[in-house]
Amino acid sequence: MTPKKVVNKKTPRKLDEVIGKISGKIGEDKISTQKVDLLSYSHDYWPISLHWMLEDRYPSIPHAVIWPENKEDVIEVVKWCYKGNVPIYPYGGGSGVLGATVPEKGGVVVDLKRMRSMKIHGKDLLVEANSGLNGYYLEDELNEKGYTMGNIPQSLYPSTIGGWVGTKALGQFSTKYGGIEDMLKGIEMVIPPGKELCLKPHARTSTGPDLRKLFLGSEGTLGIMTKGWFKIWPEPENRMKLSFASDTLEDAVKSVRKVMREGAEPAVIRIYDKIETKRHFYDYDEIFGKVATVMVIEGNEKITQAEKKIVKEEFVGTEMGEKPVDHWLETRFNVKEAAEFVPMGVVFDTIEVAVNWSKAINLYKNVVNAIKPIKGVLFASAHASHFYPQGICFYFTFAGTPPRKKDAEEFYQQVWKAAMSAVLDSGGTISHHHGIGRQRRDWMEQELGEAYSTLKSIKEKLDKKRIMNPGNMGL
Amino acid sequence: MPGKWDWLKDEMGGVSKITKFSTVMKFLKGRVSGPDDMTKCAMCPNMCRHACPISIVDGKETTSPAGKSRVGMMVEHDVIPMDEENLYPIHICLSCGCCEKWCPFDFSVSEILKPEKERGIDEGVVFEQFQEMFDNLENYGLVQGGIKEERSYPDEGNILYLRGCEFRGGDEKVIGKTMGAFEKLGLDAFVLSDEECCGIPAYNAGNTQLFKELARKMAKKIDDSGAEKVITSCPSCAYAYRKLYPEFGLNMDVEVLHIVEFLDRKKNMKGKKKATVTFHDPCKLVNGLENNKGMEDVLEKLGLDVKVPRRSGDETFCCGYGGSTVCRLNEGLSSRISEERLDELSSLSDKIITSCPTCKKAFEENGDEKVYDIGELLYELL
Repeated sequence: MTPKKVVNKKTPRKLDEVIGKISGKIGEDKISTQKVDLLSYSHDYWPISLHWMLEDRYPSIPHAVIWPENKEDVIEVVKWCYKGNVPIYPYGGGSGVLGATVPEKGGVVVDLKRMRSMKIHGKDLLVEANSGLNGYYLEDELNEKGYTMGNIPQSLYPSTIGGWVGTKALGQFSTKYGGIEDMLKGIEMVIPPGKELCLKPHARTSTGPDLRKLFLGSEGTLGIMTKGWFKIWPEPENRMKLSFASDTLEDAVKSVRKVMREGAEPAVIRIYDKIETKRHFYDYDEIFGKVATVMVIEGNEKITQAEKKIVKEEFVGTEMGEKPVDHWLETRFNVKEAAEFVPMGVVFDTIEVAVNWSKAINLYKNVVNAIKPIKGVLFASAHASHFYPQGICFYFTFAGTPPRKKDAEEFYQQVWKAAMSAVLDSGGTISHHHGIGRQRRDWMEQELGEAYSTLKSIKEKLDKKRIMNPGNMGL
Repeated sequence: MPGKWDWLKDEMGGVSKITKFSTVMKFLKGRVSGPDDMTKCAMCPNMCRHACPISIVDGKETTSPAGKSRVGMMVEHDVIPMDEENLYPIHICLSCGCCEKWCPFDFSVSEILKPEKERGIDEGVVFEQFQEMFDNLENYGLVQGGIKEERSYPDEGNILYLRGCEFRGGDEKVIGKTMGAFEKLGLDAFVLSDEECCGIPAYNAGNTQLFKELARKMAKKIDDSGAEKVITSCPSCAYAYRKLYPEFGLNMDVEVLHIVEFLDRKKNMKGKKKATVTFHDPCKLVNGLENNKGMEDVLEKLGLDVKVPRRSGDETFCCGYGGSTVCRLNEGLSSRISEERLDELSSLSDKIITSCPTCKKAFEENGDEKVYDIGELLYELL
């Protein structure tokens, strides 16, 4: 059977030769060209690609999938693909929401999940991990030995370390532990035309521009990460949970700004606008209709007590105790709604952006007001989930059903376009932690200006044949 | 108190009626059920991936939990044909149920994909490796086919001990020791000389018809035995008798317990020897029979120094042979899972205790570590 909706990309001229060479070097059992595997790697968690799947459309299938088991395998893959001009798409947990792994030009998907060893260097407070290591596995193993990395994204269960670095991700406890960029101390990469490079995990180094930062967030466009060294912490000795109900979003945002300014760093802070407060805390009568804030303060006993004092002094709102925080802790990995609503034709997505304090409320209002009037939108809401002394991350959620004569993709892009324009016009940045992928690439030039040309020049120098995730981020 | 969807109804109140609007509203009011289970699973970003031994060790999207449902969806929608190549990833499942704990819908992937497996059988897409097992079950009532047992045991008593195919066809000495341990505990145990398979291997492989035939036979034999209680060495058997049989209308009068559940209830049971041990929780004991602490509690009750593995209780990690299908279709993958589990356990103690014949077999075939069944251990300690 040849399904009508499966689109085979133009086969790279030397594909068979390249697959043959790689197969000879790393073993044929690590490569598949079976249709069921190719279709399984034709998407990630980008809503557009999920929509394709629901409609039985597969417009971006690769020609092969490879599962390397060590660095040497990865070197062979990059070496032969580069020689034969075959595109490579590095793949981790597939939980990225912007299409960064979608093999739009055909070629090979390189799934790194079989590279998953880890080693804890307790005295140096470092963990060394292969890029395919599962996030939960890493954190659970660290906890068992009395440590934490503190990177707990909602995708902790399905995602990989390589995916975290590739997308410059961060987790729910970031306000204390930072993003992956604060944790990554060393990195091992395989770059075209099949070379290995290693930036060692020194405590600090002043040896020219920090190339670790170059690969952070490069989304597979510059090479394949094979290993990383990350900062870890002793497990916190104390954890406190606080929550507040404020009359307005402005009150809650201003309170957190002052808390941050005083130097307190609660690991988790989440402020929900009125819609999201109703959505997440419908069980709590006293919060319903208000703006809820939940906080987790953790770490050294004395420091956390001092942080708690600062929070209590600065926060404008009624204290609501631990229960709303427990509710958040229990439900924070729940992604049920997308699975329930998307197959019913509801277009649903989240858009995370960042902005400095002085423009925060203005940006929030502008984005919500840009999305809501679009015909078909059911709701647009946000919570603020990550905080810095300089500013804030807003995480917008929208859902809608396409109006007549408009298909889901068109409707989806209309909402995105409105949101991105509002963010840029309001002085924000188009992405806080999901990255760029194929969904946001059209706004890169506007976001980065001349720096985008510099990025393109770097790409050109490192990957002249443009085999590494071609088209992703517009590169 | 506001309802779960009141916030959305409030928001939608201001939206003009548009395409599909009414469907969403009907769903919110509970008037339509929403997508089917396989579609919901397929639309999940694999929130149980970390718990799935296949996904962790095999590392393939195609055989990941949500990946299997996506393959199921592709077959169901005729994107790819129902053939061995496409049925294969669906069967690369240990039926361990480790996914269920993490699923917001409480799905077990092996159950969700059961209709696809059954469809495969109905349409004659049967793996050679499964056919051999089906033939053995049909002709001999046992997974391994005809077996020769060296010892015989009492065929009358109060407590019926069901030994299971794996011990009868493989590690028969465990049966002798378990019966010996029962004697030391003062139990009047007996066996069925014509014991047959509970049927669960056929169930896992999608041959529900064969499962039902075997189940009917065994339910009758157990009922006819007159036993006051049934104890099994195999947690999958206990799961089948207690959980699956009633789903197919086979309700037996007698209580069926896995040996760990039985020992867990027993008081004043102190071992005579001291030792440091670790243990492997069989998946059907913790996820099927929902006994999360049984192994640990029983070993502690016996006075042993127990090293608890990171992956234990309902976060256990399958031995690699669970479900009867993976070890038949991809021996190498089963072995790699066993080896990974053994590495973890042997780093804690050189004495590994389990309570499942299949787990014991998996570990003994893939490592040099000494692995004891709980029945053997009991015999040595009492």
